[in-house]
Amino acid sequence: MKRRLPGLRWLGLPPLAGLTLLVLLPVLWMLSTSFQASEKMFQLAMDWIPRSWHPENYPNALHRAPFPLFFFNSIVVSLVVMAGNVVFCTLAGYGLAKFRFPGDRFALLAILSTLMLPLEVTLVPTFLIVHSLGWLNTYQGIFAPLLVDAFGIFLMRQFVLGVPTDYLEAARIDGAGEVRILWRIVLPQCKPALAVLALFAYRDSWDQFLWPLAVVSRDEYRTYPLGLVRFAEDYGNPQTEQMAVAVMATVPVFVLFLLLQRLLKRGFGLTGLKG
Amino acid sequence: MRLRLWGVAFVLPALLFFAFFKYGPMGWAFWLSFTSYDMLSPPRFVGIDNFASLAADPVFVQSLQNTLGYIVASTLLITLAALLLALAVSTPVPGARACMSAIFLTNVMPIIAVCLVWRFLLHPHGLVNQLLAPFGAGRIDWLTSDTTAMPAIVMVTVWRFAPYFMVVFVAALAAIPAEYYEAAAIDGARGLRRFRSITLPLILPQLFFVVVVAALLSARLFLMPYIVTGGGPGGATRVLSMLIYETGFSYLKMGRAAAISVVLFAIVLALTLAQMKLFMRDEEA
Amino acid sequence: MTTRRDFLRRTSAGAAALGVLGAPALGAAQGAPTRVPMKLTYWTWENPQQRPWQKKRIDQYTQLHPNISVEFQYFAFSDLGKKVSVGYATGTAPDGFTTGDWLMPTWLTRKLIAPLDVQQLGYGSLDAFRNDHAPAFVAGAVHEGKAYGYPLWFYGVPLHVNTKQFREVGLDPVKDEPKTWEQLGEVAKRLTIKDGSKFTRQGFKWAMHASQWTAFQFNPILLQCGGQWFDKHGKCTINNEAGVRAMTIRASIARKYGAEDPADSLATAPVPWMDWLKERCAMFSSPPIGPLAVKPINPQMEAEGYYKAYVMPGVTEDKRYSTCYGFNCVVNANASKEKQEVLHHMYRFMMSDLRDCWIATAPLTLARKSGWTELPEVKSTPNIEAFLRAKDTGVFLPRTPVWSELADALHRAVQKVMLSSGDIKQVLNEAAAEVDRATAELKKG
Repeated sequence: MKRRLPGLRWLGLPPLAGLTLLVLLPVLWMLSTSFQASEKMFQLAMDWIPRSWHPENYPNALHRAPFPLFFFNSIVVSLVVMAGNVVFCTLAGYGLAKFRFPGDRFALLAILSTLMLPLEVTLVPTFLIVHSLGWLNTYQGIFAPLLVDAFGIFLMRQFVLGVPTDYLEAARIDGAGEVRILWRIVLPQCKPALAVLALFAYRDSWDQFLWPLAVVSRDEYRTYPLGLVRFAEDYGNPQTEQMAVAVMATVPVFVLFLLLQRLLKRGFGLTGLKG
Repeated sequence: MRLRLWGVAFVLPALLFFAFFKYGPMGWAFWLSFTSYDMLSPPRFVGIDNFASLAADPVFVQSLQNTLGYIVASTLLITLAALLLALAVSTPVPGARACMSAIFLTNVMPIIAVCLVWRFLLHPHGLVNQLLAPFGAGRIDWLTSDTTAMPAIVMVTVWRFAPYFMVVFVAALAAIPAEYYEAAAIDGARGLRRFRSITLPLILPQLFFVVVVAALLSARLFLMPYIVTGGGPGGATRVLSMLIYETGFSYLKMGRAAAISVVLFAIVLALTLAQMKLFMRDEEA
Repeated sequence: MTTRRDFLRRTSAGAAALGVLGAPALGAAQGAPTRVPMKLTYWTWENPQQRPWQKKRIDQYTQLHPNISVEFQYFAFSDLGKKVSVGYATGTAPDGFTTGDWLMPTWLTRKLIAPLDVQQLGYGSLDAFRNDHAPAFVAGAVHEGKAYGYPLWFYGVPLHVNTKQFREVGLDPVKDEPKTWEQLGEVAKRLTIKDGSKFTRQGFKWAMHASQWTAFQFNPILLQCGGQWFDKHGKCTINNEAGVRAMTIRASIARKYGAEDPADSLATAPVPWMDWLKERCAMFSSPPIGPLAVKPINPQMEAEGYYKAYVMPGVTEDKRYSTCYGFNCVVNANASKEKQEVLHHMYRFMMSDLRDCWIATAPLTLARKSGWTELPEVKSTPNIEAFLRAKDTGVFLPRTPVWSELADALHRAVQKVMLSSGDIKQVLNEAAAEVDRATAELKKG
């Protein structure tokens, strides 16, 4: 590479930018369509920049169904799921990475084995359990089964393995308590991994459809995916407004992504194998 | 001793959670799979009736085949696409990092939005066919013909998930020391040969990771066929998770639905065993 | 008119309006059935006109009876039945709900809904109740000498056509009314405009997006061909000669006449009638469509009035009938006696101002015979004769406890025939076998 002229590097830009644009076309299409007039849907030549702008698609969509409430519900549930994962996955990941106790290896296996049991597989009995707790049509009914995820534990364990044990020993000799060690020494070093964990826990909860569909039958607790599917099934609702809701649904995850971006860059390497 | 207790204390909440929301339900599903249960009267033990009648049910067999086909196809294509994207954004081209972040946006978009958008894009007169028209492609009924519906769903899956795994590969590629490539350059290794002899062996652990995780993701797929094709046309895209929902909640046959869950579990178990083996190997290395 | 309606409302005598219009004498139904505070749950399905109107009536009711509150929930059309089933299983079913009449056997075979007291609904006897409703409705709502459903709407499925497009291709909207399926095919073919592989205009369009639609559109063809869904032993017989003939007719619009694009119809889900309203298809069969639905989508079509409804074609001209279906208010068998009484009272209130109902939901016809057909608003509704005839002559859907399985199996069969050129006989054999398996399991269950 060194032998090439530096200017040549720019030659790679057009194909790469083209590829990126191609991958992003559906996203751009969604954005553009959400501002189009509804008759423009399946026209032969797409105007990527709308000839006439229809920002009213957004308020119109919000008026046709209680979307502000649905979004609020989704945000509540996703924030709780995110918090639950951050807390419990960190604890368990730390415990598995830095402590030896009888059955520790079995515990790791047991946790990883739950990857075999996604909600889609245990839907029926989980539903019956949540029902027997009286949690149908409640927030806790929606978020409870999502609070801890084995992937998160594994991610944290891999990352904490990379924190030098000497630091922990030194702190213990200084008389620091275990919780304090976790808070003061381990966590600050885990920020990138926590960012990845938080983003994916939030997004996975934000995406949940099948589970809320099963446990919720009241608008008060309906999350936005249920509202959006019902909206899309109604004959009267223009598809441009569906896209407006889809754009609004993308915004919260996008914002979280931007907020965490700096940390994520360092954290993504970890979602692979080694810390 | 004290430290041991702390270790147990840190891990215990997660284990209790899993006992309640994972092992318990799965045990229950096993029991239910041997019963007839419509939720309105108590479960009645029927032995292996549910499994026997599933084996003789073409709708189930078709869903099973769809699921397996989908897992294989999407896993392979996700891995391939992720690797190619990673190689593309790992080139020293100015702006490559920005391109990577932009491509990652497909992961930020909610799945439900992905499904609705692609349903329009793959319409007979949608954007995909419009873009293919200059290349002489005729009208393709992506989602409504039994030959293209499943490939189309796979394509959407790849579009959605490959960029995530791309990031994993990018990190792996970045970790390869530059000297390796310089040495290879002196030996005259370029292009594909360089990739095969240096890059590939060094990213092998991540490659395995991606394959296994992508397979796990595909096994639980529900939303895409549910929203994009409704399982159609004629059942061509109905997968096991959809069949579980339909059987349990539409026809109120919870025992039969639990039996399908057990089959899906068996498939995922096979995938996870592969994963375990992989993790263990990594521990020992 | 407003003044009169306001007056009625103020005196809380919506029920009296019925008396004025010559419906069954309702006596003094104004009094509240209870003075104690009561909380009811009521579920219904999503529809742009019917759902808001039900909500409005229930709100009016709770204003009149402040001690009663109603939690009103609604679901997508295809989800309501599932949600209610799961609700029953988990003890969270609503006290009252609306149900498609084709689902009545699902509730009745499991004894989930309570028999209604027709006297509390304002009828002197069951016979009076029977005589006041369309026969197809009565067959579904009355079971073993008791009424189980109090009907809201009940409609046939007419054929909607665009008369401007008829004239464009030289057809006369009166003389060229398609009376048989062959005529429908020929007319549809003339109305079709293609640009390469793209249909600029489809002549006629079957719905492809939901199993309920598939079933109610196929039902009359099957019966016209002399077919049946089940024989007397409960075996599914849609794969016999009549079934094959019916499916051949169903497929002919695309296969023989090239006048529709089923793939486009399915991909454009969930808008089966949007294409007709936007003039991308010339003919379409659906529940009655009128100004309320046309105006917001296509104001010009409404202003110039270039649309018309016929009764559906038949195998022969003397067999022109469509499916007729409707929605019943029912009462949860587990609801307390007091709640059941209040629900009777509330249902009766909801249906006590049929003029208001018609204004809000026209031209969706009502199951009741009395009290609305003579209203000037009804008489002046475009195409009302066709809508009433479709309702009065309609045949009902198969009433079976394996309805969901039956509709899904048929839906898959139609998709295989229309989209994958499946062999009709073979596809119907598969569908019948699926239905028989479901029936066998239900018997075992």
